[in-house]
Amino acid sequence: MYAVIMLEWKKSIQDRGLLFWTLVLPIIFTVIFISIFSSGLSGSERQQVIVSIVSGYTVMFVFFIMISMVDSFIKDCNIGMVARISSTNLKPHLYLLGKWNNYMYIVIIQIVILTLFGKIVYNIPLGQPVHILILYLFLTIMVTGLGLALAMTVRTLNMGIALTQVIALGGAVLSGLWIPVEMMPSFLQNISKFLPQYWAHQALQDAMEGTIQLGDLFITILVLLGFTILGFVIALLGYPGFLKRAKG
Amino acid sequence: MKFWHTIKKGKDGVLMLIADDINKYYGNKKVLSNVSFNIPEGACYGLVGLNGAGKSTLIKIIASVIHNYSGKVQLSDNSARIGYVPQEISLEESLTASDNLSFFGRLYGLRGKELEKRTDEVLEKVGLAERKKDKVKTFSGGMKRRLNIGCAIIHEPNLIIMDEPTVGIDPQSRKYIFTMIEQFKKDNCTIIYASHYMEEIERICEEAAFIDNGKFVESGSVNHLLQKYAIPTIYVKGENCLPDELRTSSSTKEKNGGYLITSNNPLAEMRKIINFCKESRGEIERLELVKPKLEDIFFSLTGSQLRD
Repeated sequence: MYAVIMLEWKKSIQDRGLLFWTLVLPIIFTVIFISIFSSGLSGSERQQVIVSIVSGYTVMFVFFIMISMVDSFIKDCNIGMVARISSTNLKPHLYLLGKWNNYMYIVIIQIVILTLFGKIVYNIPLGQPVHILILYLFLTIMVTGLGLALAMTVRTLNMGIALTQVIALGGAVLSGLWIPVEMMPSFLQNISKFLPQYWAHQALQDAMEGTIQLGDLFITILVLLGFTILGFVIALLGYPGFLKRAKG
Repeated sequence: MKFWHTIKKGKDGVLMLIADDINKYYGNKKVLSNVSFNIPEGACYGLVGLNGAGKSTLIKIIASVIHNYSGKVQLSDNSARIGYVPQEISLEESLTASDNLSFFGRLYGLRGKELEKRTDEVLEKVGLAERKKDKVKTFSGGMKRRLNIGCAIIHEPNLIIMDEPTVGIDPQSRKYIFTMIEQFKKDNCTIIYASHYMEEIERICEEAAFIDNGKFVESGSVNHLLQKYAIPTIYVKGENCLPDELRTSSSTKEKNGGYLITSNNPLAEMRKIINFCKESRGEIERLELVKPKLEDIFFSLTGSQLRD
């Protein structure tokens, strides 16, 4: 498995597309939206907007890892890499774990950099750092789990990109990552409660402000865990089919 | 029809692989049908067939890539190390040649200094030592094919399974790959070589099997197949050089301005042509015995034409 992690890591750090989706684009979005929505504001209002945007775009852009995951699995499938690896000593589940592991590291690094950017440039508060770390960890596992599910079920990269956009952007709009939930119509507010982005965003804002209660943290973790399990179940159900396609 | 082909055992009387009654379906389609064969240790065994004949499926079964089939594939030596060269160029193009080899080396359990040593050795073997730090995407098709083979031999396998390893490459790289295969043979590796380039099989394999529509239609030593099935043929080109009885015979075909004549007694036919030319003052530009080819045998056995 270590070999797969190493290989994926080497590929990932050279992947400009990945760099763009995970770091460049979210930083550009964060800067632009903060300059638009915080102009004319000061004090606590300004800080509230900045915290909302930094945490919101962090939550939104971690979902874009799904594109890289789909791309990587589909390429492995198409170039015969999966078939070739099958002829070696590596067990099939270790290939899957190795790939997943690498994307976990990438998302963790992405989150750390985006948070540090928020801290250094906008001085966002990190009121409850342990709670923030726990939320980030569960968010990472969830989003990579969903990425695995998508990679195991779609047949083409285009399909993967399209579905990632729906999940990431659609989820962001409906979960109040772009517009505060309170400003959305009530039926949309109800819908948002079924989406992991909403729970992660709300909990992160509270943890940054230092006001999250253990009960709320626990509920958010449960929601994220639920989506994680869903992702892994779909991925594990889809994996035999993926292997079958890959081996020809 | 079950076809059990028994061939002589290897140098020390040892068989490397025994395949017994292999059947494989894709959905309702049967892609391999009652395939049985033995491969002696140290042999180079050619699998000849058109695209879609079932070669790659059989290769994948032997290489443990495909598991859901019926029948039995048995390696005589439990410690046999298999190196599988897929038809596709299965390399990470954004990484270097060295990275790719290290990856497969790790998958086969090599670590540290041993891995480094083997990586350098293989780079040397495949003629890419000077390009070890270059990304694969900068390589030519032939270089990629050589590295593709390199990744399969990083763990020093004693059974190398190659699926169309020379597709789409230049003659120089093809020659280089043949030299590599000759070296594998000298190292007493057993080789399974699948190709639809029959002249390659003829050149490098001692044993061959024709596979068509998932069935073995014939197999044996290449020389034996040539002797058994090749019909002697002569080629003649010239002016007024062919007697009418030969010109109108069904065993004569026009080719490149001359005639191909198949006959069980080619020397008698040649004599007949020479005598006819002397008498009729005909001129012979070319008169020769045509060397039989595996390809002709394949066509006559399967009735197929090559698709590419």
